[in-house]
Amino acid sequence: MAGSRRLGFLGVMAWRETRGAWRHFLFFLVCIALGVGSLVGVSGFSATLERTVRKEARSLMAADVQVRVNRPLSDAGRAALESWRRRGAEVVAASELVAMAANPASDATALVELKAVEPGYPFYGELAVSPPEAARALADPAQALVEEGLLTRLGLEPGDHFQLGGADLLVAGVILKEPDRVVGAFSLGPRVLIGPAALAATELIQPGSRVRYRYLLKLPPGQPTAPVVEELETALAPEFARVSAYDDAQPRLQRFLQNLTVYLGLVGLISLLVGGIGVANSVRAFMQEKMDTLAVLKGLGADSPTLLRIYLLQTLLLGGLGSLAGLGLGVGVQWALPSLMAGLLPVRLEPVAAWGAMLRGVTMGVLTAGLFALWPLLGIRAVPPARLLRREVDEEAMFQAGGRRPWAVAAAIVSALALLALWHIGQWTVGATFLGVLGAALGLLWAGAWLLVRAARRLPVRRARLPLRQGVANLHRPGSQTVTALLSVGIGVTVMLAVALIEVNLLRQVDDHLPEDAPTFFFVDIQPDQADGFSSVLVRRGLPAELTPIVRSRLHAVGEETVAQMKLEGREDAWYFQREYVVTARAELPKGNRVVEGAWWPSRPGTEEPLISVEQEAARGLGVGLGSRLTFDAQGRLITATVASLREVAWSNLGTNFFIIFSPGALDALTPTYLATTRTAAPAEDLPLQRAVVAAFPNVTAINMRHVLDAIGSILNRIAHAVRFMAAFTLATGLLVLAGALAATRYRRIRETVILKALGATRGIIARIFAVEYAVLGVTAGLIGTGLACLLSYIVVRFFMMLPWEWDGAVLAMGLAAAVLLTVLTGFLTTLRVLGQKPLAVLRRE
Amino acid sequence: MILVEQLTMRLASGGREVLILDNVDLRVAPGEFLAVVGPSGSGKSTLLGLIAGLDRPTSGRVWLSGSEIVALPEDEVAALRGRLIGFVFQSYQLIPTMTALENVMIPLELAGERDARARSRLLLRTVGLEQRAHHYPAQLSGGEQQRVAIARAFTCEPPVLLADEPTGNLDQTTGRNVIDLLVRLHKEQRTTLVLVTHDADLAASADRIITLVDGRVQRDERRPGR
Repeated sequence: MAGSRRLGFLGVMAWRETRGAWRHFLFFLVCIALGVGSLVGVSGFSATLERTVRKEARSLMAADVQVRVNRPLSDAGRAALESWRRRGAEVVAASELVAMAANPASDATALVELKAVEPGYPFYGELAVSPPEAARALADPAQALVEEGLLTRLGLEPGDHFQLGGADLLVAGVILKEPDRVVGAFSLGPRVLIGPAALAATELIQPGSRVRYRYLLKLPPGQPTAPVVEELETALAPEFARVSAYDDAQPRLQRFLQNLTVYLGLVGLISLLVGGIGVANSVRAFMQEKMDTLAVLKGLGADSPTLLRIYLLQTLLLGGLGSLAGLGLGVGVQWALPSLMAGLLPVRLEPVAAWGAMLRGVTMGVLTAGLFALWPLLGIRAVPPARLLRREVDEEAMFQAGGRRPWAVAAAIVSALALLALWHIGQWTVGATFLGVLGAALGLLWAGAWLLVRAARRLPVRRARLPLRQGVANLHRPGSQTVTALLSVGIGVTVMLAVALIEVNLLRQVDDHLPEDAPTFFFVDIQPDQADGFSSVLVRRGLPAELTPIVRSRLHAVGEETVAQMKLEGREDAWYFQREYVVTARAELPKGNRVVEGAWWPSRPGTEEPLISVEQEAARGLGVGLGSRLTFDAQGRLITATVASLREVAWSNLGTNFFIIFSPGALDALTPTYLATTRTAAPAEDLPLQRAVVAAFPNVTAINMRHVLDAIGSILNRIAHAVRFMAAFTLATGLLVLAGALAATRYRRIRETVILKALGATRGIIARIFAVEYAVLGVTAGLIGTGLACLLSYIVVRFFMMLPWEWDGAVLAMGLAAAVLLTVLTGFLTTLRVLGQKPLAVLRRE
Repeated sequence: MILVEQLTMRLASGGREVLILDNVDLRVAPGEFLAVVGPSGSGKSTLLGLIAGLDRPTSGRVWLSGSEIVALPEDEVAALRGRLIGFVFQSYQLIPTMTALENVMIPLELAGERDARARSRLLLRTVGLEQRAHHYPAQLSGGEQQRVAIARAFTCEPPVLLADEPTGNLDQTTGRNVIDLLVRLHKEQRTTLVLVTHDADLAASADRIITLVDGRVQRDERRPGR
C-alpha cells in the first residue's frame, strides 16, 4: 500500500518534471527513436524473412524431402527410393545443369540453367507459365519453357525454335514463377525447363558432365519427415547423397540471411548506442538547469535516493516514449529493407508484425536510455542544499563531483550496457568482437578528442584574428562539448565510411577489369575426342588455349576411416568431406600456387602409390597433413594417394585452381573431360567466340567470367544498399547527438554573442567564430573517422573476407568532405537562432 | 527544541578563508519566537541554514528535538528536515515547473501522506490563495509567491519554522502581511519560529531578539510579557 503510493508519488513528480520540458527532451526522444527504429526494423525484417522461408519451405523445395546427388543413383539407391514409393510416397527426378542455348537464325548464344523434370513436378508451390496450357510442353521431347531473359538474349518469341545441345526445341511458353528456384540472387543464366525426353534429345549428359540430380519426394499424409531423412541418409550414404527435409531446408540460404540480418542489426545497435550518448548529454544539460529545483527539494526534506528515483523514472518513461516512436520508424524500416534488396530473394516478403522484436526493441531502448542517463543523474547526490543560501556555491559542483561517482559505478554501467548488447546480438563471439571493436573505436575517438582539446589550448592562435581565436577557444573552454561531438560524429563517419570501403573493395574484386592474365572464358564438359578440335578453334582465332584434363571425384576415406562411417551431421567442416572434388594430374606447379609444406613431386620410381598435393585450407578442414593417405572415388574406382605437399592458392587470380592435384600418371586409367580457358582482349570478342564454340561443340558450355562477375556485382550492390541504408541511421544519429550537444551550449553562446555584439561585433564575425569551431570539429571527427574506417574495413576485408584491401582516395576524400560539411551545417542549423539575439533583451534578463 | 553548541563556519572566498560564524551557542525553547538581527554579512542566514542542516559547519554541533544533525549523513538530515522544519526563503524558492498547489503538496508527498491534495488546498485557503492554486510561480506576484512558500513550510505542521528575511524582496505593506501571516500560524500551531531579518520593526514582534555581529552573538534580548 505504502509502496504503491510511493511509486505513485515518484511517477507524479517525474511527470511534473517532464511536462514543461518537452522541447528540452526532443533530442533525447529522437535519439532513442532512431536507435530503436533501426533495431526493430532489422529484427522485424529478420522475422519476416524467417517466417516467409518457413511458411514457404515446402514450395521452396517443391517437395517434403529431397535427395541431391552429383551422379545418377545406383540401383541400390533407386531401390531405397522405390521402397518409399511402395509405402505411398511419390517421387520425381529433376536434373540440373548449365548449358548453351543458341538461336540458329541469328547466331545469338546464351548460357542457360537447364532443368529437366519428370511429370508430377512440382509437388508443392506453383509452376506458373504463360500461357497456362504451355505447361504441357514438359511432356513433349521437342518443347521447352524458358524464362523471359532467354527470349531477350536470343531475340526469340514464343513459338520460335532454339538450339540446345543436339536438340531443336520450340519455345512453348514463358516461366513466370518456379517454386524451387531458390537463390534467385545468383544465376549463371536464364532458366530453361524441359521434360526427360527433351533432355535425352539434347545429348548434353555425357560422361564427366557436371549435372546435379535431385529426387523429390512427396510423403503420404501424416508421415513425419525425420524418419524418412534418417533412413534415406543411411541407405544412400555410399552415393554421397545429401538428404534434407523441407523444414530444415535451405540451410545455406538461411545462414546467409541470418548473417546478413545479424550484421545489419549490429549497425542498428551502434545507432542506439550513439543515441545513448545523446541521451546522457541531454540529461546532463537538464540536470544543470535543475540544480535549483534539486536544492529546494532537498531543502524540503527529499533525500538523494528519492530524487535519483524520480529522475531515473523520468528517463525511463521518456525512453519508453522514444522507443514507442521508434517502433513506428522501425515498421517503416522493415518495409523499406525488402524493397532495397528486391530480387535478392526467391519469395515475396510480406512484412509480419514481429511482436517479440518490438518488445525487445522497446526494452533495449528503455534500458539504454536509463543506463546512459544514470551517470549524469548520479550528480544529483552532489547538489548541496546550501545552494539555497548562497547561490554562488559550487556552480560547478556537478562536474567536480566525479569523486562521488565512483569508477565502480561507471564500470557497472558499462558492463550492463555490454550485457544488453550481447543479449541483443545473441551470439557470443560476434557480440564480443563487436564490443571489442566498438570499445577500441570509442577509445581512439576519445583519445582524439582529448588531444584536440589539449592542442586547442596550446595552439598559437593568441595573436590570430578574433574569429579564429574564439572559435578555437570554444573547443577547450570548460563545458565545451568537444568530446561528445567527436564521439558521435566520429562513430557515424566511421561506420558509414567503413561500409563504403568494404563495398568498394568487394566490388573491385568483381569489377570489369579482371586480374591481368585471368581467363575471361571457361569452357566446361569438353569430351576427350573434342579436345584437339577445341584447341584449334581457339588458336585459329588467335586466342590462347589452355586445356586441363579433369576428373570428378568424391572423397572415399581419410586413412582407414571411410567418409560413410564418419559422423558429420552438423559439423562445420562436413563440407570438406562431402563435396565433389574436381581433380587433375600434372607435372608442374600451376601458376598462382605456392608449396608451403613438403615438396612438389619428388623424383622417384613411379611404381609406387600416387601422390597428391592438397590446398592448405582444405588440408586443415580435412585434418590431414604430409604423409596422410586419402582415398578418392572417381568413375567407380578407388584411388589412394599420399599427401606430398600442401599448397597456398591465390584464388583471386580466377584461374583454373584445384584443391587436389595428383602426381602425373595417377589418373591415367580414368577418362577425363577437359576444361579450357582463354582470355579475350575485349568484351566485343566474347559473343563471336561464344557463337563459334556453340556452333562447333553444342555440348560444351561457355562461361563468360565478365558476366559472372557482373552478376555477383549486382548482388553485392543490392546488399550494399541495405547496409548503407542502415549505416545512414548511425550517421543521422551521430549528427543528431552533435546537434543536441551544441544546443546544450546555447545559453553560454547567447551570452557571449550578445556581449560581443554589445562590443560591436557583427553577425558575420560571430558566424565565422562558430564556423571555425564546427569546421575544426568536423575535420577532426572526419580524420579520426576515416582512419578508423580504414582500419575496420581492412580487418573485415583482409581477415574475414580473405581479400586484398586497398584504400580508395576518392571515397575517403568524399567522406572527409561530407563529415566537415555536415558538421558545419548541423552546427549552424542548431545555433542559427543564437546569431539573431538582440543584446538588450538578453542583458536585461540577466 | 533547538540547541546550537560552539558553531563555527569558515568559507573559502576568493582564495582566502572568511570566518562566517564564530563559536555561536544558542538555545531556542519549543514554541518560542526568536528574531535574529544584524548587519548583512553577520552570518544570520548561515546560522539559520546550519540549523536546518542545509550545510555542514566547520565545527560545532546542532541538536534538533534531541538529534545531533552535524554527525548525520546527508540523506538522514534531509528526512529529519522534512519532518521537523519548515523553511521560508528570502527568494521564495518555489519550483518553477510546478503549480502553487503542487509546490505546497511536495513535503506531504515526500512524507508519503495520503491526502496531500486536500490538505494543501486547505493551506492555500489559509494563506488566501485558493483561487491561484493552479498558477505557476511565474504567474504570481512576489507576495503571492512568498505566501505559497509559507503554506509549503507549514504543510507538514513542523515543530520548527525557519524564515530567512522572508520580506526582503517585498514592499512594505506586502511584507507586513507576510509577517502577520507567519506570526498567526506560529501562534495557532505553537510552532517554534526563528526569523532572520534586518528590519527592527519586524523583529519587534518576537519574544526574543539576538543580534549577530561578525559571526558572534553580540546581544541576546528577552522581551518578557509578550
